[in-house]
Amino acid sequence: MAPRAAPYIGRLRRLIGSWVPAALIVLVLLGLWEGYVRLWAVPKWLLPAPSVIAMTLVVSRKLLLDHTLVTFVEVVVGFGLSLLCGVLLACGIAASRTLERALYPFVIASQMVPIIAIAPLLLIWVGYGLTPKVIVVALTAFFPIVVNMVDGLQSVDPDVVNLLRTMGASRWQIFVKVQVPTSLPFLFSGLRVAMAVSVIGAIIGEWMGSSQGLGYLMIRSKPQFLTERVFAAIVVLSVMGVALFVLVGVIEQLAIPWRHNAPRQRSL
Amino acid sequence: MKRVAGDAPAEVRGDAKVRVEGVSKYMLQHGQPFAVLQDVNLDAQAGEFVSLIGPSGCGKSTLLNIIAGLEQPSSGTLYLNGRRAEQRLGTVGYMQQKDLLLPWRNVLDNVILGLELRGMSRRLARARALALMEQFGLKGFETAYPDTLSGGMRQRAAFLRTVLPEQEVFLLDEPFGALDALNRARIHEWLLGLWETLHKTIVLVTHDVDEAIFLSDRMYVMTARPGRVQLVQVIDLPRPRRLEMVTTAPFVALKAQLLAALRQEPAAEPRDGKQ
Repeated sequence: MAPRAAPYIGRLRRLIGSWVPAALIVLVLLGLWEGYVRLWAVPKWLLPAPSVIAMTLVVSRKLLLDHTLVTFVEVVVGFGLSLLCGVLLACGIAASRTLERALYPFVIASQMVPIIAIAPLLLIWVGYGLTPKVIVVALTAFFPIVVNMVDGLQSVDPDVVNLLRTMGASRWQIFVKVQVPTSLPFLFSGLRVAMAVSVIGAIIGEWMGSSQGLGYLMIRSKPQFLTERVFAAIVVLSVMGVALFVLVGVIEQLAIPWRHNAPRQRSL
Repeated sequence: MKRVAGDAPAEVRGDAKVRVEGVSKYMLQHGQPFAVLQDVNLDAQAGEFVSLIGPSGCGKSTLLNIIAGLEQPSSGTLYLNGRRAEQRLGTVGYMQQKDLLLPWRNVLDNVILGLELRGMSRRLARARALALMEQFGLKGFETAYPDTLSGGMRQRAAFLRTVLPEQEVFLLDEPFGALDALNRARIHEWLLGLWETLHKTIVLVTHDVDEAIFLSDRMYVMTARPGRVQLVQVIDLPRPRRLEMVTTAPFVALKAQLLAALRQEPAAEPRDGKQ
């Protein structure tokens, strides 16, 4: 495939081009931070230098990894639960006016009640461990999924629906063959937001009471003045959040190929 | 109204593929009823190419919607194949001006939609479609997504989707409206060639007199709101039709006559909507 190599090199170059500015800014900021801490000899417990945080990441990798896995499971299970419930709820709301009137107020109300207020109750009801965190994650994540999916299911072109009707399609066939594919791009917009808030939800859940996870690690490290470990936990958490976010994007590209394969004209 | 109230429509009538008998359609606008179609009679025989022409808002599309079964007439009766047809959805092929291709399906999977909805396996449906790709100028584009196709190709794909389920009757609602003149002329000739091999009944809605004369056996000229049939014109030009015919004397004479009919159409009558 020799003649095909050229476009790939071009693509690689563009990819690098799109990452280089962001990487430069990060490097400059880290440099300023490092310089400031060293010049003014800021104590480690107040503001650790990036190099110290990096050292902590290496030295405490086992500890960090263990707690990361706990948080990761909370996020993934909670997100999965919200995806399942959100999609089912959205289908119900889109399929029936009655269900829409009956359920939508509760979906909206669920977002008006602060999670912080619910979390302690969850501790009382379902105890420590995985379950309350999963519930907190699912509660924060399902709202963008439901709202976007409902919009998507309801945004079908009525002419397309009529076309299928003239072909003798049943309501179920219209739902499966038109409404669901139409809603996919909307669903994925919701999923990206949901993934971002899932990570926050997991940390909040852990802060309310837990014995493991990155949120727990932060809470425990702070009174011990292990500020560099708090930062290390934040770094790992950010990396995990970004990775999960990117993963949703990748799955989106695979699930909605027609949206990304349309050739865009580019001048040579 | 020709029919007296209470006179039940017959179950079987004639052998026309499509027969529209005394169809009226009323709609509500701002709480006021108004007539979209008034006492429309129309028929199309087996293998006949019939055109419906009229100013915009004359209810042409409503009439097609009624024939397809998307809407029911306020009064009047519809016969398909000589039988009274209350539930008609899924029995005639309907193609609209917008191609309505599904963006998430490639060309091949778009054109088999009708077959798939009737429960045919995708494998079998694809095999059927592949055999016709060349005739529809879509060969080599089977796996392309609609967004990557030209307007003419999209229309031909939409047409293949309409043809594949092998209905007896096709309703075409200004299918060439979005194409430029050159592509239109080409697709007209192509459509006639196809129609001559398929032996199907076609009812075409258009606002283009040339297009209607060039393609049809008969033309129904409609009036503006409320839509009524003003004139039925037989187009006795020889077949097969050739593009050069549009400048011949008989063609031009027909065109002059039809344009005059379209122009002298009476202004909207004051009793509109009072019935």
